[in-house]
Amino acid sequence: MGELGKVHQLLIPLGGHTLTFNLEAILMTWIVILVLTAFGYFATRGRSILPGPMQALGELFVNQLFGLADDALDKELARKYAPMICALFMFLVLSNWLGIIPHLEEPTKDLNTPLGLGLMGFFIAHYAGIRAKGIKAYVREYFEPMFFMMPLNLIGELAKVVSISFRLFGNIMGGSIIILVVSYLTYSVLLPPALNAFFGLFVGTIQAFVFTMLTVVYISVQVK
Amino acid sequence: MMEFDVQTWIKVAAFSGGGLAMGFGAIGAAIGEGYTAAEANSAISRNPEMAGDIFKAMLVGQAIAESASIFALVVAMILLFTNFAAESFVTVSVLLASGLSMGLGAIGSGVGSGFPAGAACQGMARQPAASGRLTTNMLIGSAVCQTPAIFALVTSFILLFTNFSGRPVSPTWAAVLGAGLAAGLGAIGSGLGGGLVAQASCEGVARQPLTATPVTNVMLLGQAVTQTTAIYGLLVAFVLMFKNFVPTDSIAPPMALLGAGLCMGIGAIGPGIGEGFTAQSTVRWIARNVEATADLTRVMLVGQAVAESTGIYSLVIALVLIFVV
Repeated sequence: MGELGKVHQLLIPLGGHTLTFNLEAILMTWIVILVLTAFGYFATRGRSILPGPMQALGELFVNQLFGLADDALDKELARKYAPMICALFMFLVLSNWLGIIPHLEEPTKDLNTPLGLGLMGFFIAHYAGIRAKGIKAYVREYFEPMFFMMPLNLIGELAKVVSISFRLFGNIMGGSIIILVVSYLTYSVLLPPALNAFFGLFVGTIQAFVFTMLTVVYISVQVK
Repeated sequence: MMEFDVQTWIKVAAFSGGGLAMGFGAIGAAIGEGYTAAEANSAISRNPEMAGDIFKAMLVGQAIAESASIFALVVAMILLFTNFAAESFVTVSVLLASGLSMGLGAIGSGVGSGFPAGAACQGMARQPAASGRLTTNMLIGSAVCQTPAIFALVTSFILLFTNFSGRPVSPTWAAVLGAGLAAGLGAIGSGLGGGLVAQASCEGVARQPLTATPVTNVMLLGQAVTQTTAIYGLLVAFVLMFKNFVPTDSIAPPMALLGAGLCMGIGAIGPGIGEGFTAQSTVRWIARNVEATADLTRVMLVGQAVAESTGIYSLVIALVLIFVV
């Protein structure tokens, strides 16, 4: 039980401040990146009309997520942002599944990962909004319906980043805490595999999808 | 004359915290499961040939609805059977807060996840061919319903397993109690609202199985937005737990922190339920008029954003209470 809430950190003092590196999250993120890169390599190697198993899996991802982007955005924007949406979903799914392998941990369990991805989505959405509407119309939206609503509109916009990242973090963190505590209480007999399947595979997939879909919707709300 | 030392008080807090966790935690799931069984019976009377499948779906749905209560049971057991170090009076408040957080947090999700299970049973009677899709939809919907309860559980476990004894007793006692209340109360509305959305989606899949994909997608979106205020509750709880407060002798700063927790917790209930209504109706009408999905979704998002503004007011006041007052 002692390992609950312990984080391996590398602290580097730099001019009065301390740089903190969460080593586990960094290592696990790199594992996910390497696996995804390998998957991308094998899925696109020797492409043919009759797809092999890896190519079929890759096409499934691309098809589904392109459809998701296409439903929410118009044709041109969907073509532009679908690769990012697809990469985001594959990264999140693999990250959330990583915890079911012993000794590996979900990088999304560390708040910094979802927060970073949430900020990425936030900036992309606002960039797309400014590109689509022009800076004037973009700024004017903050002063609607009344000019004094500006601070609240601003907070509402920032709260989106908080809500999208805490939702993922809370679910993954909660799942891993439950698995840890129940494993401890039952001496790892019987229950933990079922819990891993539920929280790791099932909830992990749903939350990855929810995160991806919200990112798409934030973009589509900004451009309209 | 009885002795009241730290050790005794910690025992008192652990026992009453455990009682509160399981007591409150038992409310929601029982209501939800009863509702599911009622709907299952009405479904069976409509289509007795499906009795076996409906009965199975009812049991699966009830099992998921019960998970929030099981979280509360785990927290209650830990509170009852762990020996907590008697170092500081803060622990007394921490244990109470941990119990309250999980107990209150289980109410909404328990009631909420009963709704999709009931609607799935009804749907099977109405559209037996869609049973498989209905079960999947129900499982996804009820699993997402559990999210607010999981937030309460995270808060509860962090309270239990973080060492607060080095912090100044005042105002930390109020901060941790506020954290428990913010996360616990904040989960009620969102759990309930998320259930309403999932209910409409199960109903919609049964009404028109061809619309299952947009119905499930918009359900997930609606539930996610409905949970926003529960996430604000979690955020305020995190700030209250991890911010270092200066020691004080005055009663005012602790009350401000307790007030912040209460403000966020209670303020999150209404928006959670209200946004649930919005998304429920959206999902229901997408099943009937799938061509209008884009318009319905946009109006849903705007409507939810407006319904959420009161939750944002609560968040602002809570943060002002923590950082300014």
